[in-house]
Amino acid sequence: MATAPVLLDNSHEDPRRRAPLVLGEPDFGAITEQVCAIVEKPKPPRAWYVAFGISLTLTGVLFAMIGLLFLQGTGVWGLNMPVAWAFDITNFVFWVGIGHAGTLISAILFLFRQRWRTAINRFAETMTIFAVMCAGIFPTIHTGRPWLDFYLLPIPNQMGMWPNFRSPLLWDVFAVSTYFTVSLLFWFVGMVPDLATLRDRAESRWKQILYGILALGWRGSGRHWHRYERVYLLLAALATPLVLSVHSVVSFDFAVAQLPGWHTTIFPPYFVAGAIFGGFAMVLTLLIPMRAYFKLENIVTTRHLDNMAKIILATGTMVGYAYAMEFFMAWYSGNPTETFVFVNRALGPYAWAYWTMVFCNVVVPQVLWLRKARTTPLALFVVAMIVNVGMWFERFVIIVTSLSRDFLPSSWGMFTPTWVDLLTLFGSIGLFLTLFLLFMRLFPLFAMAEVKSVMPQGGLDIGPHHGHGQYWGEIPRQHETQFAEDDR
Amino acid sequence: MDTQLPDIFQEKRLLGEAGDTFWRRALAVGLIALAASVALGFAAGDHGRSFFFAYAVSFAYVLSLSLGALFFVVLQHLTRAGWSVVVRRVAEGVAATLPVLALLFVPILIGLHQLYHWSHAEAVAADHLLHGKSPYLNVPFFVVRWVLYAVTWGLTVRAFVGRSLAQDASGAPELSLEMQKRAAPAMLLFGLTLTFASIDLLMSLDAHWFSTIFGVYFFAGSVVGFFALLAVLMLMLQRAGYLRHAVTVEHYHDIGKLLFAFIVFWAYIGFSQYMLYWYANIPEETGWFLRRQTNGWGWVSLLLLFGHFVLPFVALLSRAPKRNRKVLGAVAAWMLVVHWVDLYWIALPELRPQDPLPHLVDLTTAVGLVGVWLASAAFIMRKRSLVAERDPRLAESLGFENA
Repeated sequence: MATAPVLLDNSHEDPRRRAPLVLGEPDFGAITEQVCAIVEKPKPPRAWYVAFGISLTLTGVLFAMIGLLFLQGTGVWGLNMPVAWAFDITNFVFWVGIGHAGTLISAILFLFRQRWRTAINRFAETMTIFAVMCAGIFPTIHTGRPWLDFYLLPIPNQMGMWPNFRSPLLWDVFAVSTYFTVSLLFWFVGMVPDLATLRDRAESRWKQILYGILALGWRGSGRHWHRYERVYLLLAALATPLVLSVHSVVSFDFAVAQLPGWHTTIFPPYFVAGAIFGGFAMVLTLLIPMRAYFKLENIVTTRHLDNMAKIILATGTMVGYAYAMEFFMAWYSGNPTETFVFVNRALGPYAWAYWTMVFCNVVVPQVLWLRKARTTPLALFVVAMIVNVGMWFERFVIIVTSLSRDFLPSSWGMFTPTWVDLLTLFGSIGLFLTLFLLFMRLFPLFAMAEVKSVMPQGGLDIGPHHGHGQYWGEIPRQHETQFAEDDR
Repeated sequence: MDTQLPDIFQEKRLLGEAGDTFWRRALAVGLIALAASVALGFAAGDHGRSFFFAYAVSFAYVLSLSLGALFFVVLQHLTRAGWSVVVRRVAEGVAATLPVLALLFVPILIGLHQLYHWSHAEAVAADHLLHGKSPYLNVPFFVVRWVLYAVTWGLTVRAFVGRSLAQDASGAPELSLEMQKRAAPAMLLFGLTLTFASIDLLMSLDAHWFSTIFGVYFFAGSVVGFFALLAVLMLMLQRAGYLRHAVTVEHYHDIGKLLFAFIVFWAYIGFSQYMLYWYANIPEETGWFLRRQTNGWGWVSLLLLFGHFVLPFVALLSRAPKRNRKVLGAVAAWMLVVHWVDLYWIALPELRPQDPLPHLVDLTTAVGLVGVWLASAAFIMRKRSLVAERDPRLAESLGFENA
C-alpha cells in the first residue's frame, strides 16, 4: 500500500471536466490491497474489539428483553389503550427507513449514472440488509405470540383461515419481504466479483472454500462480466420501484385509517423521502468514522461526502415540505379535529418530542447549505447523528401523539415507555452494529470492482462512454502481501 | 468507440425564416381560435362560465408544460448533468414563455367570479367552511400570490436562461457554476410556488375539497407533459433539419426513460391520493372523486388510468421503443393529449358534473392558448441558437452513449 499522499480536495466543481472519484492515483492493485486489508488482517484493530464488545452486549440485552416479553407478555411494554402502538411500530418504521439508502444508492443512483455511488454502495447495501432484519423483529414480536406469526402468510389450511388482504399490515409483509429478497439478491450479485478476489487471495483452506462457494465459480471472463452487467441493470430496474413501494406501504399502515394526523394523502411520498433522508444519515454515521479509521479518504473522498450531504439536504427539504403541507391542509381543510391534532403536536404534552423532531430534521440540516459543513467530516457526522435521532422522533410523534388524543377527550391517554421498551430499542441498535462489524471483517466493505471501473484506468473516460463499468482485468498483484509476516 | 464528435458549428441551429413563418402562423391560429372561444362563450349564455373553465384548463396546461421545462432546466444545473446539454436550450425556450403566461393569466382574473365559488362574498357568508378558509381564499390575497409566483418564475427564467445565453457569447465556465449555485434555492422556490399555484388554480375550484398531495400530483403531470413535449419538439426540429447530428437516439432514449419514470411517478401519486381517500371513505374527501366516477365521468377516469398510465407504461417499458423515434414520438404525442385530459378531469366536473364530453369551446380554447404559447416560444427563440453551443459540458453531451 502506497503511503497516503496529500489528497487534493475534489469537491470543487470544474464544469469542463469531471472530477476524479478515486484520489492519489492508485493502480488497481493498490485498491485491492487497501480494501482487502480490512478483511485480511489476521487481527482486527483494538477499536473493533471495543465496538464489537459493546454491540454484542447490547444484542444480548435485546434478546433478553425479547425473552422477557415472551415470558411475561406485552404488558412489559408501556403501550396500552389508547396508545396501542408505540415503540414496536416506531422502531419498525425507523429501521425500515434506514434500509432505504442502500437500494437507493445501488439502484436509483445507478440508473441515474451517478458514478460516485461505487465507493459507498456496498456499504449502504449492507446496512440496508441489516436494518431490514432489525425492522423485521418488531412486527414479529409485537403480537406477543410469535409462534403464530405464520398466520401472516397466506398459507392454505384446513381451517380456511386467511389473512385480511385488505389490511395494509398484510401488504407490509409482502412489501418488506419482497424488498428484503431483492435487496439481498442485489447485494450478493454485486459482491460476486469481489468475493472471487478474496477467494483468489485467501491463504487458509477454509477461507478458500468459504469464498470459493460464495464466488459461484467466478472467473472474470468476458462472458461473466457481460452476464453480470446485464443482471445488475435488471436488478436495478426491479429494485427502483421497490425503494418507493416499501415505505409507501408502510405509510399506508397509518394513512388508510381515519385518525387525524395519520390520514393524509401526502404520506406515501413523504415517508419515502424521510426514509432516504434517515438512511443517508445512517450511512454517514457509520461511514465517517470508518473512513477516518481505515484511512479511506482516497476512495470515499470529500466529494462523496459533499454529494451525500446534498442528498440529505434535498430529502430533508422534502420532509420539511411535507410537514408544512400537512400543517397548512390541517387548517385549510376546516376540520377542527385535524387542526387540533397539529396544534396538539406543537403545544400539547408531547411538544418536547415534536420540537425535538423539528429541530433535528428541519433546523439542523440547514447548515448543510454551507459548503464548509458538507465537506467537514466531523460537522457532517454530528448532523447525521442528529438526523438519526430526529427521524426516530418523527415516527414517534406521528404514531403516539395521534393515538393519545383523538376524537373523544374522554378516551385520551398518555404513553410512557418502560425500561423494557427503551432497552429493546437500544438492543436493536446493538444487533445492527454487531452484524455490521462482523460483515466488515468477513466481506469486502467497498465494491472493489466497481470502484476500479470509475478510475481512469477503468476506461470509462476514454471516448464517449458512460456506464456501469468496463473492466479490463486485475493488474497483477504487485505487493506480494503487505501482511505476509503477520499471517502465520 | 467513436471519438469523432459532431461539430456543433456546422449544425443548422437558428430558427431563421422558418421560425418567423411558424410564430406568425401559430399566433394567427391561436388568436382566431381564442376569438372563436370568446364568441362561443358569449353564445353559451352562462355568463361565460364554460369559456372561463375551458380557459382555466388550457391555461393550466400550457403553464404546467412551461413549469415542467423550468424544472428540467434547474434540475440539470442542480445535478451537473452532462447528457442533456444538447436539448437544454429548447427546454429553456419553453420555460422562457412564463412571462408571456403572466399576461395570459389576466382572463383568469376577469373570470374569477365565474370560476371560483369562494370569490363571492355572499357565498362565503353563507358557508361556514368557506368562511374559515377566507384568510387564504380571498381575492386580494389570490392576486398577491399570483404576482409572487410570476415574479419568482420570471426571476428564475432570467437567472438560468439569461446566463445560458450569455455563455453562448462568452463560453465562460464560471456561468455554469453560478447557475449551479442558484439551482438549489431556485428548486426550493419552484416547489413552493408550483404547489400553491396548483392549489389556487385547480384545487380551489372545489373550495371544500383538500388533499395534501395535490401539489405533487400537479407536478408529476407537469413533468410528464414536459418530457413528452421535449421529445415531440426535438423530433419536429430534427425533421425540419435542425440539430441533425447533435441530438442522437441516445438523447431520445434518455428522454424516453425520464418520460417513462414520471409516468410511473404520476400513477404512484394519483394512486396514493385515490386509494387513501377511497379506503378511509370520509364523505368530505370522497365527494370530489364521486363526481369523477358518476354520470359518465368514470369513463374519463378510466381513460386516465389506461391512457395516462397502463398503455404508455407497456409501450415504453423496453429499450427498443425508447430508441425508436416513431414509437417514442407517437407515445409522446399521445401523452400530450392525455395530460390535457388529466387537467380537464380535474377542473370540468366542477362545472358540468353531468356531462363529461368536452364542448367545442374547450377545444378551441386549447388550440388558441397552445397556439399563442407556441408562437411566443418560437418568437423568443427566433434569434437564439437552439443549442447551448459553448456549454462546458457540450462535448460530453455530444458524445453521450447509453451503456
